Amino acid sequence: MKTPNLKSIESATELSNEVKSELKSTVKWSFWTVFSSTFITIFLAEMGDKTQLVTLLMSAESQSPWIVFLGAAMALISTSLLGVLVGYWLSKKLSPKTLDLTVAILLLFITGWLISDVIS
Amino acid sequence: MDFQLLGLSFITVFLAEIGDKSQLAAIALGGSSKYPRAVFLGSTVALVLASFLGVIAGGGVAQFLPEKLLKAIAAFGFLLMALKLVWVTESE
Repeated sequence: MKTPNLKSIESATELSNEVKSELKSTVKWSFWTVFSSTFITIFLAEMGDKTQLVTLLMSAESQSPWIVFLGAAMALISTSLLGVLVGYWLSKKLSPKTLDLTVAILLLFITGWLISDVIS
Repeated sequence: MDFQLLGLSFITVFLAEIGDKSQLAAIALGGSSKYPRAVFLGSTVALVLASFLGVIAGGGVAQFLPEKLLKAIAAFGFLLMALKLVWVTESE
């Protein structure tokens, strides 16, 4: 077997780096699309929602709004974590087909809930 | 540091949030995306920012906020995600 000369080794490594950076950019790209789509939809859905009103009222009543905000932030982080963990656990339990279907139905349910908020 | 107030606001917001739209969204998106961490970050930053605006603007937020418009856009966003999910599995 002809020993591969330096040239071909170099081009091979170059190629693999290219592929790696290509892969990394797609992975980075879709991480940020998931982040921004989640952020935008949940932020819009949450504006004027009951959680924000609860925080608003409590901070207005209490002399120290920042303690109310701290408690609210901790609660929101734990419910988000709980939600994502339940979702992750669900994704391990259900087959991909049923999982996507249940998630689609859940998302449509949220859409309907938001629309009923808009109408009422 | 008034721990009683801290605990009270934690429990009130926690109970208000359990089963709320955004938590269902976290479950749905967390389950269906390849990046549950991105979903967790997106959801947390959105919620904390919303409550931060609530604390900052106080009563002011409620009046000038076009809440119905924002919720309509959010509804459209969730609809897109549901269709994208169903459409992607169809074409696979």
